[in-house]
Amino acid sequence: MTQAPQFETDFWKDANLRKVWDEIVPGEPRKTIPYKLTLEAIQLYCRSVGEDHPLYFDEAYARQTPYGGLIAPPSIHILLMFACTPADDWMRTPGTINAGQSWSYNKPARPGDTITLQARALDKFIKRERLFVVHDNVFFNQHGDVICSGRGQTIRPA
Amino acid sequence: MTSFENLSVGDTINGPTFDVSRDSIRLFCDGSLDYNPLHLDDDYMKNSFGKTNFGGIIMHGMNNFGLITRMLTDWAYPAGAIQRRLETRWLKPVKPGDTIQPVGVVKSKQLTQKSRWVLIDVLVRNQKGEHVAAGEAMVEFPLSGSMAASIAS
Repeated sequence: MTQAPQFETDFWKDANLRKVWDEIVPGEPRKTIPYKLTLEAIQLYCRSVGEDHPLYFDEAYARQTPYGGLIAPPSIHILLMFACTPADDWMRTPGTINAGQSWSYNKPARPGDTITLQARALDKFIKRERLFVVHDNVFFNQHGDVICSGRGQTIRPA
Repeated sequence: MTSFENLSVGDTINGPTFDVSRDSIRLFCDGSLDYNPLHLDDDYMKNSFGKTNFGGIIMHGMNNFGLITRMLTDWAYPAGAIQRRLETRWLKPVKPGDTIQPVGVVKSKQLTQKSRWVLIDVLVRNQKGEHVAAGEAMVEFPLSGSMAASIAS
């Protein structure tokens, strides 16, 4: 199992390795990395948006629910999107502006899951002189179950 | 207690208020692994982006998304309901010093062959009453007995 040894937080580093808008091929899969979702990562994400539900923090409570144990909130894909992609992925290009997203949820992600991502650009277009890319993403757990799928639009730096 | 039966079109859901600061944005960088300089680098944000100049660092758009999710799940969990879809678009940038709050309005209820659904319009407002994000959500209220099968892995 390959896993990024350490997440590169400097989005300027490797900037020259990332595809610019002209090079993005709709339909072409992006490189992705399996990611082990830890309880610590879930809870750090939760704190960053004020999530405090016991389904994410209290194992004894969570075990008594239909979920049968701790889960991650649906919006955990916000973390997974970066966790599952390498440093040269074009989503990390400085100045990338998120214009909107839609996500569908199937099974919850859980602490200890190994998450994989299938992702690609599906479309690109120019509108009001801005460079858009439509991206499409599906996250799976280690059982092959779909966790969630989503599509979004980003405006690319020229 | 919220249940599918007692919901009406026009019912509102009030989400949590959220104070945006440099610290909250920094924490969201760590929580989301999104370290784009849009959210961190004051010098970089002196630039224009296409035809846009934000005039300083901005909160991650996905922070809105996370906050809306928190509103929906906190509302749905006690009813045994599940957030199945959320679509959002960003209308205005959010900056340090802003206070934002999501709100939901029940738009419709619909039965399918095997389940029950509620469609919800969602908005995020800032302290000036401006809409910074908008979208819609689908929450499933599984038929009794089907809950465990639908969520257990």
